[in-house]
Amino acid sequence: MGVSESYERGRDLFQSNPIGFVLGLAVVILVLDMVRKLVTGDVTVARFGLVLKAGVMRGMVIGLAGIGLSLTYSILNFANFAHGDYLTSGAFSGMAVSYLIAGNFGRDASIGALLLVGTGGSVFGGALGVGAVTAPVAVLAGLIVAGVATIGLTLLVDRYVFKPIRDRSGITLLITSIGVAFVLRYLILFVFGGSKRGVTAEQPSLSVGVPGGAVEIGTHDVALFVVAGVLMAGIHLLLQNTKLGKAMRAMSDNEDLARVTGIPTERVVRYTWIIGGGLTGVAGYMFVLWKGTLGFFDGWLLLLLVFAAVILGGIGSIYGAIVGGLVIGITFSMAPIWIPSAFGRAAAFVVMIVILIVKPEGIFGGTSTA
Amino acid sequence: MSDVEAADGVRAKTTIDTWEDSLLKVRSLDAGYGDLQILADVDVDVREGEYITVVGPNGAGKSTVMKSVFGLTTHMDGRIYFEDRDITEMPPEEIITVGVGYVPQNENVFGGLTVEENLEMGAYILDEVPTEAMEAVYDRFPILRERKDQKAGNLSGGQQQMVAMGRALMLEPELLLLDEPSAGLAPDLVDDMFDRIDRINDDGTAILMVEQNAKEALRRCDRGYVLVNGQNRYEDAGETLLNDQKVRQDFLGG
Repeated sequence: MGVSESYERGRDLFQSNPIGFVLGLAVVILVLDMVRKLVTGDVTVARFGLVLKAGVMRGMVIGLAGIGLSLTYSILNFANFAHGDYLTSGAFSGMAVSYLIAGNFGRDASIGALLLVGTGGSVFGGALGVGAVTAPVAVLAGLIVAGVATIGLTLLVDRYVFKPIRDRSGITLLITSIGVAFVLRYLILFVFGGSKRGVTAEQPSLSVGVPGGAVEIGTHDVALFVVAGVLMAGIHLLLQNTKLGKAMRAMSDNEDLARVTGIPTERVVRYTWIIGGGLTGVAGYMFVLWKGTLGFFDGWLLLLLVFAAVILGGIGSIYGAIVGGLVIGITFSMAPIWIPSAFGRAAAFVVMIVILIVKPEGIFGGTSTA
Repeated sequence: MSDVEAADGVRAKTTIDTWEDSLLKVRSLDAGYGDLQILADVDVDVREGEYITVVGPNGAGKSTVMKSVFGLTTHMDGRIYFEDRDITEMPPEEIITVGVGYVPQNENVFGGLTVEENLEMGAYILDEVPTEAMEAVYDRFPILRERKDQKAGNLSGGQQQMVAMGRALMLEPELLLLDEPSAGLAPDLVDDMFDRIDRINDDGTAILMVEQNAKEALRRCDRGYVLVNGQNRYEDAGETLLNDQKVRQDFLGG
């Protein structure tokens, strides 16, 4: 009786949503397989903890970077491909300040080398002791400067590039933003050089003992988690509870109506860039601080994952960006348990495509949350 | 222009009366969108506390009159005055500050915002949310008080129309522009909507309304304008237009 009933229910489910059914089955199989691997010891709990932590961390970076992208998408109606290079800009400007302060304003190395973030191997962040514990002031100042400098950059770009073509189609803006991305990227290459450099010193970490080893939780893991968490909560409160946040949501809902309601749309656009730019700069800096290396291509590479996260979360929704970021980050990190690690990025995109097949508007799609 | 000959019934005036002391004065307005001219030589007056309807066939430019007053069209010629202030090319965000509110026809609520947030947006230009005005809106539309924390997009069409009107009333305008307030409403709600508009007018707010539902609108208003091909043909008391054989035949479907 019970068996045939659940069989019937399963058949109904399969008929009403076959793709969803198959995918659900796939997820169940993967979870069961994970449990099996853990029980049999194919994968130690320690390794599982490590990849999960790495996935969550990566997800936080992607989510934080995605919020800025989602905000500008929903309010300005275009996909900003320069976003990745805004991340890189934030990382370089912030790191330059961190180097400067950690290098005691030129006493430990030449000012030029510090400001150019050790271009060409002239000085190393490890030697300067850049890190949240070893040089907290340098990191905090770098974080703030990363945000502020990126705000300045986005406003400047908006004023001279995007504002004059604001009335054009989203495609025009998108292609223009690709141009901006190239200009920024190669300006950064020109100024700071193309070498990928280590920027942080060894930081203390907490070792949590689990079966089969230990999960290391580093200072910068905690720093990233706290900064991203605080900023995500902050942007949520801003959008839900402040007049500006409500105006931003109103504008993302219906820009024409916002205008006839008396909302100063240009000013809201400016604040959108300020908030989006600040978040993006901070995200870029935290990304680099967390992974410990910095290169002029970092933001661009991350942007593909950010776009994947934002699209699968439901483009235009900041909550979608956060959840999408976590899905992409965790997939990216967990995939090597089953497939060669070189395919982590591919797996993340497969998950995006699969989710979009089941829910084309994205996880949070249709609910405009700015 | 000569008076229209009517087989029977009243004769609608073909000259458009104007007044010097009107709240809103539209004078010889030519306007449209981009290069496309829609309105030619349109005169419209709304005196203090008056209830005015603009009727006419589809494509006559009724909504364009309203949008022009609110600064949403391309101005070509003529002037628009509100309380003797020239508002001809003022942008909407300034026009709302002089005492004109506007309720567009479609998509006139922020669906992702709650009812209360929609009302707050109506008073965006003020430093603080005017609690008295908000209470007045809730008193006028009690259902909105019950639903104040719901997303406006989840409300029924009639309730959304109330939210849209409430939002426009937050600044307590002297003149309210209503673009097809009965559009998309279930037939049994149309009368209710017109009653509510009557009450807004009774409380002293002048109304300039564009309506597809011409008979009902003319029955309720003080004066009406019949707009054809972007020009106003007739202007008279609502009842007079309603009883005019020619107007009835040509524009009201008999």
